Amino acid sequence: MKISFSLNGKGIELDVDPMSLALDVIRGLSLTGTKEGCGVGVCGACTIMVNGSPVSSCICLVGTLSEKDVWTIEGLAEKMPELIDSFVENEGMQCGICTPGQIVAAAAIDSVGANTPEEIKKYMAGNLCRCTGYQTILSAVEDHVAIN
Amino acid sequence: MQSTDTEFMIPSTVAEALQGIGREDSIFLGGGTATALLYKNRLIEPSRVIWLGNIAELKGISITQSEVRIGAMTSVAEIAGHSRLAGLLPGLCAAASVIGNARVRAMATLGGALAHADPRQDIPPSLIAVNATISIKSASSSREVSLSEFYEGFLETVLEPDELITEVIIPISDNRSSAYIRYTPTSEGDYPTVGVGSSLTVASDMKTVVSAQIVLCGVGAVPMIATEAANSLVGTTGDDQALRRAASLVSEAIDPQDDERGTADYKTEMSKVFAYRSLKLSSGN
Repeated sequence: MKISFSLNGKGIELDVDPMSLALDVIRGLSLTGTKEGCGVGVCGACTIMVNGSPVSSCICLVGTLSEKDVWTIEGLAEKMPELIDSFVENEGMQCGICTPGQIVAAAAIDSVGANTPEEIKKYMAGNLCRCTGYQTILSAVEDHVAIN
Repeated sequence: MQSTDTEFMIPSTVAEALQGIGREDSIFLGGGTATALLYKNRLIEPSRVIWLGNIAELKGISITQSEVRIGAMTSVAEIAGHSRLAGLLPGLCAAASVIGNARVRAMATLGGALAHADPRQDIPPSLIAVNATISIKSASSSREVSLSEFYEGFLETVLEPDELITEVIIPISDNRSSAYIRYTPTSEGDYPTVGVGSSLTVASDMKTVVSAQIVLCGVGAVPMIATEAANSLVGTTGDDQALRRAASLVSEAIDPQDDERGTADYKTEMSKVFAYRSLKLSSGN
């Protein structure tokens, strides 16, 4: 089935099984910044941004992306270099596996209007970091929110 | 993941969606947070999937003086972040804001959250506590069902295979307050050991309780409605002693099972503790 949507700012039409996972389809397009972690929507490593909101691509059937505005870490890194700078300056990463998901989640924070450190913490709570480097990640997101 | 011949329909009206559900193994798809997991684990293999995301008439929140209507495809995140709704239905908004994580809340829909019928879900007790009804349609009929009579068992509801939840209707009243609180000892985004939705409606003196509801999730195969416990509050002023007595009575209405979120005994004790806390929030004290 043909599914069309906007991916990283450009229109795309794919001939795919609409019941395949967005995660697999996106990685199949060589956009491998999106990582599979838990595979059940809990850890946040596979976060993509859909119509401005964070979405777990591992539990997202690609048919439901039809006509939507989809962004991955690759597109956001180009579009929002200052967000990447916030993570770099705060050293908001350790091993790196959760980092793309953390950054995409931060990019989508406007969808819930989280502003205070407590609101930011609650919003980011669904993006797990097994290195437990949470404080530097939160500092990076707080800087990003403060700038925007 | 398996490759399939599943037919994927994207209707733009409810009528079109209802036409499409004719086959036995067709399913409706909302946000997909539950369906994608069932599908990837091969627990369901539908021949036709009807995605409802493109149907404008199923989305949105409308508020009048006497009721709130929420379309079945309204996202949980929209409910959680709706400031006017938070004033009218604080219990529902509290439940919507603690589900899973920000990504699940963005994708998951109200209708899906009700139809999935996992007894640990947060939204059903918060809505049953405020006497919500749901509109259900099929190609040939429509009906309204009280949410308190919707659940039949684990993942089982009164919905027929060709029926769709289109809307949730909640009566509102100045004299009613509501709350939802839950206990998640493992992690913030997990299903709760127990969650408690409650409401208190007072007489025009704004003190005497005329009706109350206490509904619990996680402690039975369906949302458990503690009618006797709630009725014990009628005629009281909702004082601390009355709340504690009512909370202690919820143990009569529940049927918890041992699992990784606690033993049955532990869940019973936590049900009393969190029923009290929920009522305390509803009472505003």
